[in-house]
Amino acid sequence: MDKAIIELLARRAGLERALKEFPDDVTSAAEQASSWVANMQAPREPHAEPWPPMKPGTGL
Amino acid sequence: MTGLHWLTAVEAAEAIRGRKLSPVELTQALLDRIERLDPRLHVFIRLDRDAALEAAKAAEAEITAGRPRGRLHGVPVGIKDIIDVAGLPTTCHSKILIDNIAAADAVCVSRLRAAGAIVLGKLSTHEFAIGGPSFDLPWPPARNPWNTAHHPGGSSSGSGSGVAAGLFPVALGSDTGGSVRNPASACGIVGLKPTYGLVSRRGVFPLSFTLDHVGPLTRTVSDNALMLDAIAGHDPLDPGSAAVPPGHYAAGLERGVRGLRIGFIRHFHETDLPADPEVAAGLENVAATLHKLGADIRDVRLPTLGEFGAVNRVILQSEAWAIHAPWLRERPGDYGQLARRRLLGGAFISAGDYVQASRRRLEMIAVVENALREVDVLLCASAMDPPSRIEDAAETERTYPRQARTPFNVTGHPALAMMAGLSSAGLPLSVQFVARYFGEGMLFQVARAWEHAAGTDEKHPRID
Repeated sequence: MDKAIIELLARRAGLERALKEFPDDVTSAAEQASSWVANMQAPREPHAEPWPPMKPGTGL
Repeated sequence: MTGLHWLTAVEAAEAIRGRKLSPVELTQALLDRIERLDPRLHVFIRLDRDAALEAAKAAEAEITAGRPRGRLHGVPVGIKDIIDVAGLPTTCHSKILIDNIAAADAVCVSRLRAAGAIVLGKLSTHEFAIGGPSFDLPWPPARNPWNTAHHPGGSSSGSGSGVAAGLFPVALGSDTGGSVRNPASACGIVGLKPTYGLVSRRGVFPLSFTLDHVGPLTRTVSDNALMLDAIAGHDPLDPGSAAVPPGHYAAGLERGVRGLRIGFIRHFHETDLPADPEVAAGLENVAATLHKLGADIRDVRLPTLGEFGAVNRVILQSEAWAIHAPWLRERPGDYGQLARRRLLGGAFISAGDYVQASRRRLEMIAVVENALREVDVLLCASAMDPPSRIEDAAETERTYPRQARTPFNVTGHPALAMMAGLSSAGLPLSVQFVARYFGEGMLFQVARAWEHAAGTDEKHPRID
């Protein structure tokens, strides 16, 4: 992940302090997260639902 | 009675019920052992000596008066320090929560107390059940009683180490990506991640709402069933709790495996993450032994560990970020480095990624459900390596993700890890069994058959 994008996303998430004090940790976390997302095979079937399923509970 | 520290919970409870053993004598013996060994093992964050002895005296009085409370009456237990015990700190092994005193017992703790168990104290964990083993936290990490230079697994590190070392017969842990089964594997004991929703999570500090499970760590399969009998059951105030009737998990323990169909997921340890040769040989030995006992062993294929791991981590990091974002923004320096790095990841995962992972999760559940229509139980690796040296950060970083536990957090199926043998270096090797939803009884049945055949319940570390 590009360093500028990491900084942009970190600031958007309110992580200015972490960026200042622990920049390597922020970069490492961003790269790790990017790797997990890249290794995931997203479903191509439009009707594929998520888990847990949407269902009405006692609150509805 | 001698050797009280190696009594199982079943044995201790029976002796206490029969007035052959005093719960005060048992608790005192364990407290003495803890005092002697814990400076080397670092199992406890908070030992509640006085309260434990008071509870033991109360148990003795109740039993003498003919008022037995339950099947764990007078049996000491350890509680992972992300689980609330009223009046004690729940620190999650972190500076962030160092002064966080629990107002009430977690549901699983109150159920243990209702069964008569005695709470000894709070146990070491990886920080917030994710960051460890770490040396930059307010307490040191727990160590492995088989060799204190080695990691006891985590995140329920103190639970695993303490049970294996004979500091207490049973403990509670939590499992979001394998955190009960990892220490069970590394310490050569029995660790169960029950079906999602079978054990209430209320009063347990969350890591990831849809992946978190509470489960027991014990030295024997029958103790594990006894613990599950005590803690399982519907909790209407836990939104993830399943409304199913409680089982009698010890009922079929001795039924054996004759005629059972066991699916061996070899690709996990052969091609997905090629295992240490001793781990692989141990798994083949378990399969061959169960075959000799009458089980039909057949190969099963599931999605790869890489895929399961990615889905687990995208969900885990997203949900954990929702919990930790305020502290990560305001107090990043109060986390240890490992937890900080692992928890910050959620800031870089989009809502769309999270939904995609949740959709892929449902597909993966369907694949595992289909596999479990063809077989009664799945057999596979738990850890791909014996436990690493705890101070070798690079080796721990390399071996920690080399495991096959996350698939069953993703799918919610019950999974049990236990000893498969010992390595040439004298460290535990492990195996994992997986059953259908709410099939914990079947899981215990197969695990007990292996335990009985291999004598794994009689192997203890020489920590004295």
